[in-house]
Amino acid sequence: MLNDLIIGMAGSGGDGIVSAGESLISALAQDGYYAILTKSFGSQIRGGESSCRLRVASTPVLNPGGTLTVAVVLNWEDFLRFGGELPVGPGTVVIYEQKTKVAPDAIPLSVKPAIVRAVPITELAMKSAGTQQAKNNVVLGLLAGWFGLARESILEGIRKKFGRKGVDILQGNERAYTAGLDYADRHPLEGDWRFNPPQAGVGKRRITDGNELCASAALFAGCKFFGGYPITPATEIMQYLQKDIWKHGGSLLQAEDEIAGIAAVVGASFAGRKAMTATSGPGLSLKSEVLGLASQAELPLVCVNVQRGGPSTGLPTKSEQADLFAAAFSAHGDTVRPILAPISVEDMFGITVEAFNIAEEFQTPVIVLSDQEIAQRKDIVDPVDRSRFKLVDRLVPTAAELENYTRFRLTESGISPLSHPGMKGGSYLAAGIEHNERGDPTSSGEMHEQMNNKRLNKLNPLKLRRDLFLIEGDPAAEVGVISWGSVAGVALEAVRTARAQGLAVKLLIPKLVYPVAEEIYQEFFASLRRCLVVEQSHQGQLHRIIRMWVNVPAVFDSFAKSGANPITPDEVLRKISAMPRPTAPASLSR
Amino acid sequence: MITSTIECGCPPAPAGPSAYTTKDFRSDLKPIWCPGCGDYGVVTALYRALVAIGRPAHEIAFISGIGCSSRIPGYTTAYGFNTVHGRALPVAQGIKMANPDLLVLVAGGDGDGFSIGGGHVPHAIRRNLDLTYIVMDNHIYGLTKGQLSPTTPRGAKTSSSTYGSMEDPVNPLLYVLGYGAGFVAQGVPADMDGLTKMIEEAIRYPGFAFVNIQSPCVTFGDPDDQMKVQKTKMRKLSAEGHDPANRLRAMELAQDYGKELYTGVFYRNPNPPPTYDSQIRERQSALRVG
Repeated sequence: MLNDLIIGMAGSGGDGIVSAGESLISALAQDGYYAILTKSFGSQIRGGESSCRLRVASTPVLNPGGTLTVAVVLNWEDFLRFGGELPVGPGTVVIYEQKTKVAPDAIPLSVKPAIVRAVPITELAMKSAGTQQAKNNVVLGLLAGWFGLARESILEGIRKKFGRKGVDILQGNERAYTAGLDYADRHPLEGDWRFNPPQAGVGKRRITDGNELCASAALFAGCKFFGGYPITPATEIMQYLQKDIWKHGGSLLQAEDEIAGIAAVVGASFAGRKAMTATSGPGLSLKSEVLGLASQAELPLVCVNVQRGGPSTGLPTKSEQADLFAAAFSAHGDTVRPILAPISVEDMFGITVEAFNIAEEFQTPVIVLSDQEIAQRKDIVDPVDRSRFKLVDRLVPTAAELENYTRFRLTESGISPLSHPGMKGGSYLAAGIEHNERGDPTSSGEMHEQMNNKRLNKLNPLKLRRDLFLIEGDPAAEVGVISWGSVAGVALEAVRTARAQGLAVKLLIPKLVYPVAEEIYQEFFASLRRCLVVEQSHQGQLHRIIRMWVNVPAVFDSFAKSGANPITPDEVLRKISAMPRPTAPASLSR
Repeated sequence: MITSTIECGCPPAPAGPSAYTTKDFRSDLKPIWCPGCGDYGVVTALYRALVAIGRPAHEIAFISGIGCSSRIPGYTTAYGFNTVHGRALPVAQGIKMANPDLLVLVAGGDGDGFSIGGGHVPHAIRRNLDLTYIVMDNHIYGLTKGQLSPTTPRGAKTSSSTYGSMEDPVNPLLYVLGYGAGFVAQGVPADMDGLTKMIEEAIRYPGFAFVNIQSPCVTFGDPDDQMKVQKTKMRKLSAEGHDPANRLRAMELAQDYGKELYTGVFYRNPNPPPTYDSQIRERQSALRVG
């Protein structure tokens, strides 16, 4: 019995491979499984090669996984274009289209898979449905038959999907699916490849992605304005919001450019509303000046940056974690903007709510560093328990404070009550220019120092927010791992496996990535002699940022890869085991 | 006009004396402008227009960019926002979208509006939020000490064009008319009454309204642009017999920007289309849940 199954499929654009993946994950959600579906395409707008990976388990799935359990190849050229995204190993079952005329012992792979099956997929589709377009349902039949996956629910899904398209089309696709099932039943696989049935009694779960959860979390948090510009892979946040934000008394602007998008958000925040923008790398670069304005004018806003490969246009459809430096350091001057990073699709909800809370409480722009994988992969998740979240609103002046209102009053916390237009007595001048407590422009060095203190020190309490850090493993371990964003789920699995194998190791996942929480890292490092930072960027940006603020263990290694090169739990496990032992006794170094 | 009462939230033009005086809109911040700067006249005209409009200062949001003229919100008692260079219009639109009940004014210089922020003007116009955009056009970059601006005439020698400018200036009036603005006017501080009336009318217009003010720079500006000269050069459109409902004629007149100094309303759409903010309200109430 299998407990963890990873299916990878590739074909040409018209083969319906991605659609098969979507049908499969819907059926699995119906049956009470957990799963992650990731899609990958060539850069063509339509057509070209397309692929998907689906990882399924009875317990929550932490990441899309590494080596495939099952590879479905409709066309070898297309399959091979995805390289490391669809890795085949000695334990993989390879199912491929017989029409490709490749002999099972001559398939173009460098490893010898466990089982190789050439299946007349097109022929089965033609015979059963009279059209090649039914190929993907033949594939679903094969998968359901051989691996015992959601047999009934897939059929139900086909009925739902094709029910409206006429009896002929519906019956054709049903027959194609049954043809796949029959083929699998008549040609059983050697060995036990049946998948564990789902836990009994679980209800239906929802399929969603990070962008959708971001939008629903924003509305839940009370977001009343969105300003933005279409950009891959963040656009869906705006698309989801534009349907619903009006129902909550809010409004949305698809602006003429990225700068106008965030400028309107600053305006809406000045007007007293919770407001948000969403973008990806190039847009973050364009927005940086206005982010600085929001810091200076102490106006709350949330800027979601869905990371993709960079620099410049880079790899717009692939995930990377290389915008950390840009998020932390892009705008000029002495500023700190809190940066939060979700570690999974499900986590995107809480992180977005938290971003609004921090923005409003501390009167600061907050950047959420999501990434393409979290934003666009489909996960089966449990319903969000909204009662877990507390919502925070900005501090507004009391009637007494409005008697002689001082917008930027130097308070102990650094947070001063924030009025908005319409409040009688609350008028002030918000500005990008340095100002005194009243808000009047100044060029005084002394005042500038005091205001910098206010703006920077007010964020210090954030660095003690232990709930924004996930720590797991043996507290006294000498080996540690740090990871963030979508890669954190990979590190989590690797560390759990390492511990199951008897290695004393612990893991730190910062969801507050910046400012660097010195104390929390220092505590984590106290027992460590070796630490590995795992992330998806060429330079290992988190690894470097931690070193800027914290004394690190004697061995402080980076395991970093450029975007679009998946990091797998096995690789991380190997890196953990292969970390060099320190030559000197345990000591902290820069 | 009943429609303007609804659209801009302004009371109708007062029959009797206003509840406010200019003091209610003047802040105690001392302007940084040079003595004799045209912007003093602009802010004075604005105080007077706001008295006539009759909305309290705390219901007004006054947004600007960067430049000498962009300091203007600080000299009023409205909620001011001195933003970044070129982005006053998008910030102001965010404010109006977030709270359509506010009276939103936007101001800046010719560089702010037609150079660094030039890309936002057509979109603010086609979107048609009920805003009033005042540009203090002095044909020079004053705050950075006298460089070419987008409206500096060809051939002008400035601190960034020792041998003379080699490019044509933009024509703000023709641009905004071309972009489809519903209200377009030009004024001069030398004609305080005309300017005051024009700003008031712009605020009352239900939609995006543009007022170009030839506001001379005494320090770096052309001697021929100064207020004394304006008084002799200005030609009132009303006296020229111009019908502000005639958009094509307005465009013809606007072509003389830089040559003739026309003042008054070039164009006022006699049938203002629905504003973006009124559509927001409609959509919100149509879709509202609970």
